[in-house]
Amino acid sequence: MERRLQQLFFALSLVALVLILAAAWQANTPSWKTYQRRFLMLESQGEPNAAAKSAVLGTPLEVHQVLLPGLQRVDRCTTCHLGVDDPTMKNAPEPFRYHAGLGPHVSARYGCTICHGGQGLATEKDAAHGNVQFSETPLLAQNYIRASCGRCHKEGDVPNVPELAEGRHLFETQGCRGCHKLNGVGGSIGPDLTEEGASHRSPEWLERHFLAPNTVSAGSAMPNFHFTKDQARDLTYYMLSLTSEEMGTYFSSMRSIPGPGYGRQLFVEKNCIACHAIGGVGAKTGPDLAGVTTRHSMGWLDEQLVNPELVYPGSSMPEYDLETNARKALVAFMSVATPEDAKSILSGRPRALSPDEVSVEAGKQDFSRFGCVGCHGTELQGGVANPNAQGGEVPSLLHVSDDYTKDEVIAVIRNGRVPPIENASAAPPPLYMPSWKSVLSDEDIHHIADYLWSKQQLKKESW
Amino acid sequence: MNLIREIWQSIVRRDPLTTDKGKSELVFLNVWLHIHPAKVKKENLKFKHSFYLGFITFFLFVILVTTGIALMCYYRPYPPQAYQDMKDLQFVVFMGPFLRNMHRWAAHGMVVCVFLHMCRVFYTGSYKKPRQFNWVVGVFLLLLTLGLSFTGYLLPWDQLAYWAITVGTNIGSYAPFVGAQVREILLGGHTVGEAALLRFYVLHVAVLPSFVILLTIVHFWRVRKDGGLSRPVWKLAPPKQQPLVTIGAPVETVALNVTAASKDKTYGLMEVVTGKPIFETVTPEEEEDTVFSYPYAFVREAVVLMATVTTIMMMSLFLDAPLEELANPAKTPNPAKAPWYFLGLQELVSHSALLGGVVAPTLMVLALLAIPYLDRNPSRRPVDRKLILWLFTFFVVVNLVLIVIGTFFRGPGWAMVPPWVHVVAGAE
Amino acid sequence: MVPSVFYEPPQSFKIGNPGDFPYGPPTFMADEKIFVFRDRDRGFAVASAVCTHLGCTVAHFGSDQKFHCPCHGSVFGADGAVLHGPAPRPLNWFEVTVARDGQLNINKDKIVPSSYRLMV
Repeated sequence: MERRLQQLFFALSLVALVLILAAAWQANTPSWKTYQRRFLMLESQGEPNAAAKSAVLGTPLEVHQVLLPGLQRVDRCTTCHLGVDDPTMKNAPEPFRYHAGLGPHVSARYGCTICHGGQGLATEKDAAHGNVQFSETPLLAQNYIRASCGRCHKEGDVPNVPELAEGRHLFETQGCRGCHKLNGVGGSIGPDLTEEGASHRSPEWLERHFLAPNTVSAGSAMPNFHFTKDQARDLTYYMLSLTSEEMGTYFSSMRSIPGPGYGRQLFVEKNCIACHAIGGVGAKTGPDLAGVTTRHSMGWLDEQLVNPELVYPGSSMPEYDLETNARKALVAFMSVATPEDAKSILSGRPRALSPDEVSVEAGKQDFSRFGCVGCHGTELQGGVANPNAQGGEVPSLLHVSDDYTKDEVIAVIRNGRVPPIENASAAPPPLYMPSWKSVLSDEDIHHIADYLWSKQQLKKESW
Repeated sequence: MNLIREIWQSIVRRDPLTTDKGKSELVFLNVWLHIHPAKVKKENLKFKHSFYLGFITFFLFVILVTTGIALMCYYRPYPPQAYQDMKDLQFVVFMGPFLRNMHRWAAHGMVVCVFLHMCRVFYTGSYKKPRQFNWVVGVFLLLLTLGLSFTGYLLPWDQLAYWAITVGTNIGSYAPFVGAQVREILLGGHTVGEAALLRFYVLHVAVLPSFVILLTIVHFWRVRKDGGLSRPVWKLAPPKQQPLVTIGAPVETVALNVTAASKDKTYGLMEVVTGKPIFETVTPEEEEDTVFSYPYAFVREAVVLMATVTTIMMMSLFLDAPLEELANPAKTPNPAKAPWYFLGLQELVSHSALLGGVVAPTLMVLALLAIPYLDRNPSRRPVDRKLILWLFTFFVVVNLVLIVIGTFFRGPGWAMVPPWVHVVAGAE
Repeated sequence: MVPSVFYEPPQSFKIGNPGDFPYGPPTFMADEKIFVFRDRDRGFAVASAVCTHLGCTVAHFGSDQKFHCPCHGSVFGADGAVLHGPAPRPLNWFEVTVARDGQLNINKDKIVPSSYRLMV
């Protein structure tokens, strides 16, 4: 008996040793090592002589990672994707192929997951690509990857990604903000979209949602905007780029200030010449901007762009929702702008606006920016379905002067209004006029009223 | 060389192991081994009596401490780095998955074996006089084991961990008067957050293991003082009756009055103290059935150690410890379940919070503690103890059934869903 | 033993301007774990989203105006009363007031009856 027990002890010890060695062997042969060996073989084939070849083949195998501590990201993709920075690997098979077209966005500084998604911490293919249970960020599909550019490049035209600017333009003009908040501005009827890019909703879902909201969101009050497929795709791109993860500031804090060229683009886009002049060329409503950077500090100018009324109470300058980089670019432009620039900008424009026209123009900008067009329409035609409201839909504003004075309209915008209900026992209407007094200043509300009045269709004298 | 022999003999000071004296000295001159008696009774070594469950539990604890200390090099107890470290263990630490799996399966194994050990001690009646208080120490060790498993469960900081601990601490808060306060102290706040993770980590790596070690020392010491591992006294042969024979006397069977030698044999300081010892003693007859601890006891312990280690290693090579998504306080998984050993409790709680969450477990623990004092039957033979054996078995089976229901039969919304019905996970 | 400062969201906090909250279905605030109800006639009410049974986050369905807990099937009525399931107490309603800057202020340390409303 005792001998048997002794033998059993030694046998079990041997088994334990074998198991530990098996575990060590398993740990020592992860799949990424196979990939790295294949890559080194590939690399060594490009070497001219035997000494160089063996030098390459002798490279130690190790995990490669890119640390982005400010973003709390660790990307280990380059452990297998070894050729992304190597132009000689243009025609190599995946995963070794060179990543063309990166420009300044080298993997060593940017990692991979901020554009592609996936799980950066993983070193196995399926886990890294997010194709496992409990993974929150699967790889973004090929045809949507360019949307990720918008996560950092939040303003202006992004080269090679016209969809982003289109999407943003559609968002601002179709009135999405009337129901959806973005970066703190907007309505509360629909969900806040500030983090939509980080919400893990698939791009396919987003596109279907834009084309027909009720088919993916049962019972949603979002009207069908009858977007084309292209428009839905552009909006999807824009949605995918929305995240408050501070990626733009993280990278830009490292180096460059955006240049005056971009600033000029913004100057034109925001129509500053409608109220300002440069060296006497332009409009007279606001101050002349020539030499403004010598009179005021960068911080002052930045604040002026963020919150005009703080610096000049009663100012009719609208609040433009500009990112840090955009403001820097505008200030950079103003430091070099000349009357010639103003002339060339004006040459494509109608004459400068009178003060009344300024008010209407500001009102029009606000009406679009704050999402009023979403319910009341881009032409003030109304018509969005509002079940169980009297009339069954959002009213048109083209005849509002027939029934209300301007002050009454201003009061409605300030305080909001619940539509009268058709059938008291049925569900109340989902849409209503929110109160804007805590969002819009009285000046802005006056501008909007001026804009509405400028659009009124006179009552026909006879039928 | 003489020098080498001198060095060796300065370290190893006993006689060679081929001598009886050497075998004894191996035990009582060695600080790590002298908890053992130099000689053990053969019955103490019976596998089918104790199944060595106590040893298995202890060895699992040793595995846990070793793997735990190794894991501490790779883990930071702050959300969200904690989760990132779990991912690193999974992907980039050499033998990381193996290490983590060893720890997880040894932990589950220890909970199971502690419970089985308790059942064994009960079924063999080894808690009876004079071993009553050691049973009480054992119950506290059981509670400490559950506490260690519970505090460790939170550390991965994934959805499974976060919600299991939310549910578990909320069950505890039902205790009257002190429940809410104790929950707040445990969590370091009102909800499970970074303070809770840090406190649970401190409990898990320092406070609770210290208490386990201290109580284990007491537990082993008392086993030794109580006469060693329990043995099936009811199965032992009656003491041999040998006739006394005088050399040279006629060899005819003379009915001699034979009395068994006195049962009083004292150990201890022979020249100073008097009085009878309170613990079990070895009769001269039984002494013939004793063998040296080396090699008989030690080889069995060594085999048990290796069998335990090998089993846990096998499990660790093929079964992976779970890791779900990062803990998300805003998103409750459906259903949210406590760790499996508390699922019986959660099942009870789902019927009645106060009765199931407070009254039932308190009564269970109090009943366990009271067993050695309420059981007035001095016999350890199974046939004499039928009632209590049935009662205990019933208690064990009820617990197991509740755990099985909680694990396999409860689906989303805690609705009763048999496991053979394919449940599609609810949409987000 | 109990810390004097908590690294958690505060018990008393502002949630925004009254105009930010729609009528009809309540606004669920995930970080604060509350539902903000706004009734056209009677004003604001704020309910806790934490189930009184074991702390899971309840969901509110517009179809039946009730709160449902995914963990053990507790169901609370529109006023928070327990209709079904193992929850021992009704859902808590928190005090909501208007702060000096016009925003709504919630105080989770102050539990109010389910009939409490803030008219703004």
